[in-house]
Amino acid sequence: MLDFTILTNNLDTYLQGFGNTLKASLLALIFSFILGVIIAVMRISPMKVLQGAGTAYVEFVRNIPLILILFIFYYGLPTLGMELSGFQAGTIALSIYTAAFIAEAIRAGILSVDKGQMEAGRSSGLTYIQTMRYIILPQAIKIVIPPLGNQFINLVKNSSILGVVAGLDLMYFGDSISSATYVVFDVYIFVAVFYLILTIPLSLFVGYLERRLAVSG
Amino acid sequence: MISFKHVNKHFGDFQVLTDINLEIKEGEVVVVVGPSGSGKSTLLRCINRLETITDGELIVNKKVLKSKDTNINDLRKEIGMVFQHFNLYPHMTVLENITLAPRKALGISTAKANETAMFYLNKVGIPDKADSFPSQLSGGQQQRVAIARGLALKPHIMLFDEPTSALDPEMIGEVLDVMKTLAKDGMTMVVVTHEMGFAREVANRVVFMDHGRILEDSEPAAFFSNPREDRARLFLSRVLNH
Repeated sequence: MLDFTILTNNLDTYLQGFGNTLKASLLALIFSFILGVIIAVMRISPMKVLQGAGTAYVEFVRNIPLILILFIFYYGLPTLGMELSGFQAGTIALSIYTAAFIAEAIRAGILSVDKGQMEAGRSSGLTYIQTMRYIILPQAIKIVIPPLGNQFINLVKNSSILGVVAGLDLMYFGDSISSATYVVFDVYIFVAVFYLILTIPLSLFVGYLERRLAVSG
Repeated sequence: MISFKHVNKHFGDFQVLTDINLEIKEGEVVVVVGPSGSGKSTLLRCINRLETITDGELIVNKKVLKSKDTNINDLRKEIGMVFQHFNLYPHMTVLENITLAPRKALGISTAKANETAMFYLNKVGIPDKADSFPSQLSGGQQQRVAIARGLALKPHIMLFDEPTSALDPEMIGEVLDVMKTLAKDGMTMVVVTHEMGFAREVANRVVFMDHGRILEDSEPAAFFSNPREDRARLFLSRVLNH
């Protein structure tokens, strides 16, 4: 039977970690989305230089471990004279890492829209930007939402690497409660519950968006 | 109105158009025929610069297409285009499909654009479909919406790229009828098609292409009864005798 006094006695600590996990996830979600859109647009742009830079980013970041990116920022930058807290380094690493996956999801969505749509828009005198905005992106977004939702759920879970560099998140405080109380199992079950409080509504929301967009033609 | 002078186009090493010379006057209906891969669609797509030419001179509506001063978006507002696969916007209603470019590219008010759209929907015979989505329409209806969409820009030229090739046989007639009416109204039209009946009946001139060259440019009566080129004769015997 779960020992709920673990939860009630350490509620403040749990909530502090939960707050920081939420904060890191939200910040990383915003940064990685903006960066992901920029990288995606670079990769589909007609300019070879931008394409190359975008591709290099995605291939480099996607094919190395997240924790390595974190260590570069947390342990690597101080040798160059720049100190970051665990929370800052973790949030930055998470944003950079997730952006590569978001860029790929968005790029795939845009490319899956029939090429005739761009031609129809452009041939009627609309600019490239107008055609993107009114014709291509509204169609791409429906295709992109499910994979994007999955990336955001992964992001919330991946934020647990903050614990490795004392990022004051759920995982970090879970560890510290566990070392203080000598309880392992119950402590981490409650940590899991706090993660679920974030991820389950997120996954329900993505499902809702998917259904709503499917109806509107 | 449209003038090709010694136009060449390459896709990499492959030459798609070779020494194209073609004059199309205002109000003319020119039908381009020829075997697949002969460069017909590419020729058509050069006119609104969906394809760029490699060299030569192409003037459309007094604008030199290769010139840096030519605003390509302004040029395209004067040219309507109808595609083989309709290319209607699936996430918009018929009315929104037709009014998008007039509102966003020409800056016409929504009320005025809707009025114009309804006028052209009446013209193509499906005003009752204004609030439908493209997926709810038959192929023939979709292509008629696409024609109305092109007309809503009040263009000087209409381009048709195999407008009936993706249609069920029984729907071809309704689309060709709309195009015939348009031709009668004096619209300048360039039509790539395999519909020889339409070419014979409506065209002022028939242009025959093969391997990226214009081999013949004559009046339909002359072209169909007595083609000058052997290649054209062979093509006609294949498309007409079956």
